[in-house]
Amino acid sequence: MSEENLLISVSGLRKRFNDVEVLKDVNLSITKGDVIAILGSSGSGKTTLLRCMNFLEKADAGQLFFDGSTYDLSDMDRKSIVSIRKKTGFVFQNYNLFRNKSALQNVTEGLITGRKMNKEKAVQIARQQLDKVGMLDRQDHYPSQLSGGQQQRVAIARAMATDPEIIYFDEPTSALDPELIGEVLSVMRDLASSGMTMAVVTHEMNFARNVSTRSVFMDGGVIVEDKPTRDFFEAPDSERTKKFINFIEESRK
Amino acid sequence: MSDRLINILIDSFPKIIVPGLIYTIPMTAIAFAISLIIAIATALIQIADIKVLKNIARFYIWIIRGTPLLVQLFVVFYGLGQIGIKLSPVVAGVLTFSINEGAYSAETMRAAFESVPKGQMEAGECVGMSYWQIVRRIVLPQAMRTAFPPLSNSLISMMKDTSLLANITVAEMFMSAQRIVARTYEPLWIYIEVGAIYLIFSTFLTMFQRYGEKKLNTYQYK
Ligand SMILES: Nc1ncnc2c1ncn2[C@@H]1O[C@H](COP(=O)(O)OP(=O)(O)OP(=O)(O)O)[C@@H](O)[C@H]1O
Ligand SMILES: [Mg+2]
Repeated sequence: MSEENLLISVSGLRKRFNDVEVLKDVNLSITKGDVIAILGSSGSGKTTLLRCMNFLEKADAGQLFFDGSTYDLSDMDRKSIVSIRKKTGFVFQNYNLFRNKSALQNVTEGLITGRKMNKEKAVQIARQQLDKVGMLDRQDHYPSQLSGGQQQRVAIARAMATDPEIIYFDEPTSALDPELIGEVLSVMRDLASSGMTMAVVTHEMNFARNVSTRSVFMDGGVIVEDKPTRDFFEAPDSERTKKFINFIEESRK
Repeated sequence: MSDRLINILIDSFPKIIVPGLIYTIPMTAIAFAISLIIAIATALIQIADIKVLKNIARFYIWIIRGTPLLVQLFVVFYGLGQIGIKLSPVVAGVLTFSINEGAYSAETMRAAFESVPKGQMEAGECVGMSYWQIVRRIVLPQAMRTAFPPLSNSLISMMKDTSLLANITVAEMFMSAQRIVARTYEPLWIYIEVGAIYLIFSTFLTMFQRYGEKKLNTYQYK
């Protein structure tokens, strides 16, 4: 990994909820163009890691390097948070679309209000992004008129529209009916091959194996394994990783 | 019904409805608008969870909901007058109704705000919106949708409660009716007539409520 391509890294990240330490000294580096699959059993801290990296949760300790600057994660000022967020996107497990806005408005909202872009330009960008995720023909539908898979695709368009350096995905397909998972994964695959940097918490082993460039295994609040995807699946170092991979592959059969 | 009575009723109709149009409707509209601002502010203060402000908000709601509206009207109009704060009856009325309704609607608004899933606020933050932009453009419109039916009920109640303003010398509909009764000695029919006029007003408000609910339903027809 060449230093100059380093986009984001966190080091010494710690987070506790009440008495439980959920993240214990997590270190993760992301290079431009990386597609990182973050795997791990339920409760291992994957969501919390992403949320801390985007300040939805306040870390207790840790450093964040982003786009050439270093920040103290436990002591972020508002201005830095806003400026970093403007360069990142976040896709939630349950989409979190604005219920009172149409698909198109969901995508333009952050451009018009957050970035003071003029409306015509915002609409033009939004339509491009909706087209990429195959939702242009539904641009005037409200979230309540869309299926889960369609909502998630709009949510991805919303994240892409702000032209982020990286998009975080927190189990983007976990809330979907099985028959809708494919359409979302295929949008994410396109996004990955377009060169977007992505950090994806997922239980989709096929996505991890075939799309991600690197895979990370979390267990009990620490990163146990962090390798190029091929090595990760073929020659994991840790017993826990092996067990997890076997377990997941078995349960898929 | 005698011809005399019919003439009295016809004669008194404009004498009652004109004060309705001059006092009841505008005072209700203004007081309700102010009460809504108070309610939203009070609800947001409680949600923002700033201890001192929150306690003030709780105290305000406690006092207002625990005392009769009529007593509040008397304190503001006659009571404040005694210590040199002389308000016109109309101003005292609008003020009291705003403050009174604000306390009730604050609870409605708080529940409505809390019914908007928190994830949408996080999504707003993640696309670079500020707290106020999210409240104004995402949370408030959805909260208003939820709050609309109970708020409409409050509006109708408030309109009817303006009859209490007769007690602080506002020459609104009910006072006009009382005057006509004093002149004609027809309490039964005149009071039924004024009641019917309130009914007409509240019927219009109910129709407005139906219409509004339909409009607001466009994006949440589930
Ligand atoms: N807001 C919170 N308050 C208290 N505890 C929390 C909170 N959020 C998460 N936790 C706890 O932190 C631990 C890690 O949670 P996290 O959601 O990060 O796990 P995860 O790896 O994303 O799990 P899953 O695969 O189920 O989504 C869990 O034990 C969870 O109960
Ligand atoms: Mg999770």
